[in-house]
Amino acid sequence: MPSSDSEDFESADEGRNSPSKKERKKRLSSSNYSDNLEFDLETKKDAPLAKSNPKDVAKSVDGWDDFDINEEAESSTKNISGKANVIKSDTKPTSVLNTNAKSEIQPEKSQDTGWDDFDDWGDTETSCNIKEDQLKPQSEKKHSNIKDVTERLAAASTKNEGWGWGWGVDSIFSTATAGISTLTSQVSQGISTVLETSIGAPDPEELARKSKDVHSQQTLSKEPSIEKPQFDISKNTDNETSFQFGSLISEVTKFVETTGTKVLAGGLDTLETIGKKTMEVLQDGDPGLAKKRAMLGLDPADKPVLSQVLREAKAKAEEEDRIREQKREAKEVHYESLFDDFEGLVHLEALEMLSRQVSMRIDERLRSVDPSKRQDIKETLQQVAELCEMPDDDEEEEMEESGDMSKPDALHERLLASTRDIGLKMQYQPLIKQYTETLEWLSSDPDLTEKAIYKRAVSSLAQATAFSVEVYHKTAEMLLVKPRRSTADEADALTQMTVVLTKHIGDIATLFTEKLNSITSEDKEQVNSHITNIFLEADNSSKYIQNAFHLALPIIQIGAV
Amino acid sequence: MVDPIFDYQFRLILIGDSTVGKSSLLKYFTDGKFAELSDPTVGVDFFARIIEVQDGTRIKLQLWDTAGQERFRSITKSYYRNSVGALLVYDVCNRSSFEHIPLWMMEAKRHIEPHRPVFALVGCKVDLVGTDNKIGARREVSCEEARLFAEENGLHHVETSAKTGLNVEEAFVLVAQEVYNRIQTGEYKVEDGWDGIKTGFNRPNGMDFNLLEAETVQSTCC
Repeated sequence: MPSSDSEDFESADEGRNSPSKKERKKRLSSSNYSDNLEFDLETKKDAPLAKSNPKDVAKSVDGWDDFDINEEAESSTKNISGKANVIKSDTKPTSVLNTNAKSEIQPEKSQDTGWDDFDDWGDTETSCNIKEDQLKPQSEKKHSNIKDVTERLAAASTKNEGWGWGWGVDSIFSTATAGISTLTSQVSQGISTVLETSIGAPDPEELARKSKDVHSQQTLSKEPSIEKPQFDISKNTDNETSFQFGSLISEVTKFVETTGTKVLAGGLDTLETIGKKTMEVLQDGDPGLAKKRAMLGLDPADKPVLSQVLREAKAKAEEEDRIREQKREAKEVHYESLFDDFEGLVHLEALEMLSRQVSMRIDERLRSVDPSKRQDIKETLQQVAELCEMPDDDEEEEMEESGDMSKPDALHERLLASTRDIGLKMQYQPLIKQYTETLEWLSSDPDLTEKAIYKRAVSSLAQATAFSVEVYHKTAEMLLVKPRRSTADEADALTQMTVVLTKHIGDIATLFTEKLNSITSEDKEQVNSHITNIFLEADNSSKYIQNAFHLALPIIQIGAV
Repeated sequence: MVDPIFDYQFRLILIGDSTVGKSSLLKYFTDGKFAELSDPTVGVDFFARIIEVQDGTRIKLQLWDTAGQERFRSITKSYYRNSVGALLVYDVCNRSSFEHIPLWMMEAKRHIEPHRPVFALVGCKVDLVGTDNKIGARREVSCEEARLFAEENGLHHVETSAKTGLNVEEAFVLVAQEVYNRIQTGEYKVEDGWDGIKTGFNRPNGMDFNLLEAETVQSTCC
């Protein structure tokens, strides 16, 4: 950062960033609930709100047994998804899904010659994935292809939300499912019927081979077109047996949406392809899937149940939608941005600037003073700092029930009482007004939803905190221009005020959590998650308030030296 | 509440003698309202509004409304540094407020250094001009004079009224556009440790959304 501030200027921001500023910056730039994460890493672990946590996703993807699948498949699926997680210790949603897809197809594979077949598929895959290698000998292609795939697999499992594999299996799944889910359930029932009974559906192996043939021809004749998948797509829609991974999405979607027969021919083909591809990846290092099959305890005679793949893909897509929606909602109740909107952040920043400037003035005074007096000053500073220490355990704030006074009035009374001796005209109106409004809101509508209550809770906490921080900032400014300082009184007043304010934050949190507990909700888990978060945000709020108080310390101190 | 979606945040500071109308100008700009009476500002107050510059880029203006009173001078000077723009505000019916402008400008330059802010010279209370029977309501600073000063010092100049709303919007848009232009030319950039210009709240955090959308498109290409 630039450091050329003119020497005389105590520009408050001068010099290096203080740790606290950095910390705040970090918080600002990180994503939802980062503030919690930072402050409450431990507690956060239990918080059910870690929406973006891949593990959670994996966990919920595990719950496939919710889905209505035939009994036979059901047990095996449970088995698979359970074990798949064991195999792939980095339980990413993608890999879980793939494992499943693979396992479904695998037995059918084994009826065939196995490796030869994979070679074929390898070629097909090569033709669409590896542009430069088009004209190289087949064996070499295959080799590099497998390597390529392994690398991609690794890449995909290390970074969860990146582009993953070049051909993005998971997005293919989700898109395919999106298309499919627009169909009536009849269609998908139809699909599964066909699949399971193998009526009229072309043998996937056959299709695959055809596809490969067509492909290699295409590849030889016009390799540049591979660079432009869109081109291929338009071609391929006419040719149901030929497709490329790149065009899977549009193919699947189009096929599913247009005709039933095409669904069967093209859509299943596509899924077959995906399955095989996945299989191939899985099989790497485990030829014939001997080990994995053994682990999964699959009967090699099992027929593939591709409908299962569809269902699972659908479940995954729904899960993703749900997560996306939650993220959007999370932004709406993002404490940090609300706090910023209520000008809390900028008041805190301005207070920080003042605090730093005053600290520098104190240091300056210490440097310039006679060494014999230096110790005295230091002691005075220390004494002031001690005066400003928060009482350790909340000494049960003699909760004098303020008679028939309303809650906001009582709060106002307590705040005024705490700062009676500070020698300034304190302004608490915004806090009191907000408290009044909050209480009114909570008692106005008996049919509040848990979501509405939660949103309002976070917003109220952010607003109350912003107003509190503003009080510290304004107080600091007024103290600095106060003609006669009374350090002890000021220190005591601000300490008391901090106690009242943090208690107020706790009261707000309690109001909302009580409200949440009082409503009848079918989603008890969600309510509990909201309650946990409200308390986390309340804790966060208290920390902001104490931070503001801490920043005010040099401003109190300078009055004494 | 401010709509959180914006591309940049610019921090602008308003400086000038007390009672020239800085807070009223800001109140009109952010609230569309004019308050006949208002308390003198203590230290600094904050306002915010999102505007769009010519190419549609959304800018959140974070406005620092400083106290004009002499007693707060030592405090307000600590607030200058992170500003990318400064509005030098005077009262067209108050000669001395205009005469202090060079001092305000020097002070701002000195504290904002090494950054070079965009300055605008903003005359307030033009609605009072013409009702010159009342005390203090006669124009004491001509438009030409102010314009000349602005030209000499390379400032934008605008005369406003927070009562009628005349040119209030323009005053801020002028500065925002100029800051934005300087970003475009590379003269200004977002810097770590300097809060004059920041990128929007939603840009970095919103990335995951863009990625999700882009991913679907991208996967049609192998």
